[in-house]
Amino acid sequence: MTAPAPVRPAVRERWLARRRWARAAWLYAFMLVMSFFFLGPFVTGLLSSLKDNPNEYPPTLNIPQLTPAVIGHAWALGVQGSGDGWQGGLHPGRTVTFEVQVQSPPGAPQDPPAVTLFPYQPVSLVAVARQAQARDYATLDTREVARSGDTRTYRVTVRSPLLTRQTGETVRATLTEPDADLRARLGNGQTVPVRLDTPQAQERQYELNAGQTVELTRGPAGYTLRGPVFERTPLQVDVQRGQSIVGSTLPPSDRQDFGRSFAFRNVTPGVLGYTFNNYRRAFRETADPASGRSLFFSWVLNSFLYAFLRVAAAVVFCSLAGYALARMTFPGRNLIFLVAVLFVQMVPSQVNLVSNYVLLKDLGLLNLWGLWLNGLVAAGGVFLMKQFFEGMPRELEESAAIDGAGPLTTFFRVMLPQAGPALIALSITQFQGAWNDFFWPLVILRDNASFTLTVGLSNFRELYGGQGDYGLILAGAVLSAIPVIVLFVVFQRYFVDTGADSAVKG
Amino acid sequence: MLRRGQTPAALLFLAPFLITTAVFFFYAFGRAIYYSFTDFNLFNDPRLIGVKPYADVLGDPSFRRALANSLVFAVITTTLQTVGALLMAVALNTRIRGMGFFRSAWYMPSITSSVVITLIFLWLFQRRGVANYLITQWQAFQPLILTFLGVLAAAQVAQVLWERSRRLPAGWLDPALAATSALLAVAVTAALAWTGVVAAREVPPFDYQYFADRWISVGGVRVLSVPMLVVIIQNTFTTIPTLMLFFLAGLQNIPGALYEAADIDGATPWQKLTRVTVPMLRPVTFYVITVGRIGTMQMFDQVAVIGSAAPGDTLITLAYYVYSNTFKAGAAPVNMASAGAIILALIILVMVAAQRRFFPSEAP
Repeated sequence: MTAPAPVRPAVRERWLARRRWARAAWLYAFMLVMSFFFLGPFVTGLLSSLKDNPNEYPPTLNIPQLTPAVIGHAWALGVQGSGDGWQGGLHPGRTVTFEVQVQSPPGAPQDPPAVTLFPYQPVSLVAVARQAQARDYATLDTREVARSGDTRTYRVTVRSPLLTRQTGETVRATLTEPDADLRARLGNGQTVPVRLDTPQAQERQYELNAGQTVELTRGPAGYTLRGPVFERTPLQVDVQRGQSIVGSTLPPSDRQDFGRSFAFRNVTPGVLGYTFNNYRRAFRETADPASGRSLFFSWVLNSFLYAFLRVAAAVVFCSLAGYALARMTFPGRNLIFLVAVLFVQMVPSQVNLVSNYVLLKDLGLLNLWGLWLNGLVAAGGVFLMKQFFEGMPRELEESAAIDGAGPLTTFFRVMLPQAGPALIALSITQFQGAWNDFFWPLVILRDNASFTLTVGLSNFRELYGGQGDYGLILAGAVLSAIPVIVLFVVFQRYFVDTGADSAVKG
Repeated sequence: MLRRGQTPAALLFLAPFLITTAVFFFYAFGRAIYYSFTDFNLFNDPRLIGVKPYADVLGDPSFRRALANSLVFAVITTTLQTVGALLMAVALNTRIRGMGFFRSAWYMPSITSSVVITLIFLWLFQRRGVANYLITQWQAFQPLILTFLGVLAAAQVAQVLWERSRRLPAGWLDPALAATSALLAVAVTAALAWTGVVAAREVPPFDYQYFADRWISVGGVRVLSVPMLVVIIQNTFTTIPTLMLFFLAGLQNIPGALYEAADIDGATPWQKLTRVTVPMLRPVTFYVITVGRIGTMQMFDQVAVIGSAAPGDTLITLAYYVYSNTFKAGAAPVNMASAGAIILALIILVMVAAQRRFFPSEAP
C-alpha cells in the first residue's frame, strides 16, 4: 500500500466547485422544507375549507370539490333544480334526476335502495324561523335504469310541486310576518297580498314562516303562491346488508354504516353551493331574516371601515406629530418623545381597559367610532414618521421659510408631499394593525352587527367549534386573511422594511 | 436652523396626538391606579380601601396561575423564537437566486391576524386533526425513515473517510458528499421497501387530545400546560420569519473582513458563529428580545379565541385575567382587574429596565 499522492490543483478546484453546487442544492432543499412548514397550515386550511367535512380522517388531498367532472355535475344539478348553475337550490315545479349505482352480489338482497329526503336546519348566530324543508314538499321516485353485471344504476327523480295553476311571470319574494292574509315582500320592497288558488297551497300556508323565500306567479288577478324555494335538497340513500353503493352523481357528504348509508347534504348545489359551500354558509347562516343582511358581510364592511379610518387618522395626525417631534424646537420635546411615544408602547393595553371602556360607555361611543377614537393616533406611527422626517434634508424647510411660508404651509406643501414612501409604510402597518386588531374591538364593540371580522370569527369558534363544524370557521378565516395577503403581495417591500410592528404581535 | 416662536405651531401639530394620548392613555393609566386601591365594580361609586385589591389578587389562585403561565410563555417563546430566527438567518445568509420569493412566502404567518392563525391551529391540533395524523404517519413510516437515516449516515462516513484518504479536506457535513449519500440512501431505502425487507408499520391512529387539562410538571409543580405548548408552537411559528428578517439585515452589516480574519486564525464554523456572528448581532438581538418580551407578556388573542376549548386555567394569562375580571357577569371585581393590570405593566417595565441595565445593547 502506497501513501496517496498530493492532490493536483485542478482536482482540488473541481472538488471545490462541486461543493459549492451541492451547498446551493441543500439550501434550496432547506428553503423548500421551510416553505412547507410556514405555508402548510394555510394551504391545508384553505383546501380543507372547500371540503364538505374538513375533519375527515385520514385527511386527504383528493378533494371532489376541486374535480372538474364533479363540479360539472354540481352545475348541471343546480340548473335542473333552479335554473341557476351557480347558486343551485330547488324551486317549485322543477324536477331533478340523480343517479346512484348499487352493487348487489348474488345471494345479497336485490332490492332498490331506500331513498329519503332529510331536513336540514342550519345553526345560526341569529334566531332564524324554521325554513320550509324539501322533505315536506318534494316527491321522490326511484327506478332502475341500467344494469351491468351485479351493479344496477338507479335514477332518483326529485319533483318539487307547483302550488298554483296560474301561469304568468314568476317572481321571487319573501314572506312577511303573518297576519290575517299571507303577504310577501317583493324584490323592489313592495309588499303584496298572496293568493292561494289550489287546495295544496291552502293546506301549506300555515307551515310557512316569515322570512321564507317563495316564488309567486304574477297573473291578471294578482300574485299567487308557486311554492317555497328550498336552498338545499338533502338526500339520503340506504341499501341493505350485503349491498354496497359504488357510485353516485355527486360524491356523498357523509358515509356511514360501512358504506351502506350515504348522505348527500345537497343534491342541487350549483357550483357555489358545492365548491364554495362553506363560504356561502358563512354569509347565509349569519343572515338576519328580518333585514336580510348578513352579519358576516357587515363584519367585513366594519373591518374595512375601521381600517380605512385608522389609516386616514394616522396619515394626518401621526405625520403631524412625527414632524413636530423631529424638526421643531419647543420645551419638553424630549420628554414628550420619551413618555408619550416610547413609554406608551411598553405599557400593556389592559391597563387602560377599564377606564377607556367606562369613558366610552358614558359617552355612548361603544361602537366603531369609539374604537377609532380610542386608537386615533398610534404611538408607533408617530415614531415611524419622526424617524423619517429626521432623515430628510433641512434645505427644503429653509427655502420654504425664506419664501415666507408658515409652519402649516411648510408641512403640507413641502414636507408631506416628500413623505410618500414613509406614508405608504405607515398606511400599511396601520391597515394591517386595524384589520388584525382583536383586543379593543372585543372590548368596545358590544352588538353583533357592529363587530369587526376578528371578533365575529371568534364568535364563530364559540358557536360552531364546539360541535366540530370547522368548515365555516376555516372559510371565515380564509376570507379574513385575503385582504392582508393582497396588500402584502402588492406592497411587499414596504412590509419587509417595517416588520417591527408584527414582531410584537402577541 | 433653530428658530424661536415655534412652540405654538409645534403644540398645534402635536395636539391630536397629545390630547388622545392624555385621555386614552395617561388619564386611563391614572384611573387604573386609582381603581386598584378602591372597591370599584363598574356599578358602584368607588371608595378607597387601600391595598386590599392587591392582596386579593395575590391571593387569587387563578391570578397566580395566570402569572406563572405568562412568565413561562414569555420566557420559552422569546427564547425559541430568538434562537430559531437567528439559526435560520445564519443558514440563509447567502445571496442565491429566488431568495426573495422564499422570504416573502415565509412572511405569510406574520401578516395574518392572530385570530385566523389560532383558528387554523385549533383545527390542526384536534384529536383527529392534521397534526395527529402527521404523527401517526411518522410512526407508521418509522422503519423506512430510520433506514434512510442510517444509510445516509453510513454512506457519509464512508465517503468522508475515502476523500480524506485522498487528502481532500472533507468535513463531516460536506454538502457534496451529503448529496451523494442522500441519493444513495433514497435508492437503498426504495430497494429495501420494494423487496419487502422494510415496510411501513400498522399503527393505531395517534389520538392525543391537546386541548385538555394536561400539564407538564417539574418536581410536582405544574409548569406548562399542553394547550399552552400548542400556543407556544403557534407563536414561534408566526414570529420566526419576521425576526429572521431582522437578523438577516443585521448579518448583512457584519464586515466580511471579520470572517476572513477568523478563517486565517483557523476558526471552526461554530467558533465563527459564537465569537463573531452572535456578538456582532448584539444590537439586533437586544431589540428582538425586548420586542418579544413585551409582546409575549401581553399574550391575549390566542387565549380569548380558544376560550372554552381549553379547559380550566390551562391557558389563562395576565392579560386575559384582567379582561375576564373586568367583564365578569354581575358585579365585576374591576378593582382586582386593575390591580392585575398594574402588576402586569410593572413586570414588563422591570423586565425592559433589567435588560437595559444588565444586558446592554452594545458590546462592553
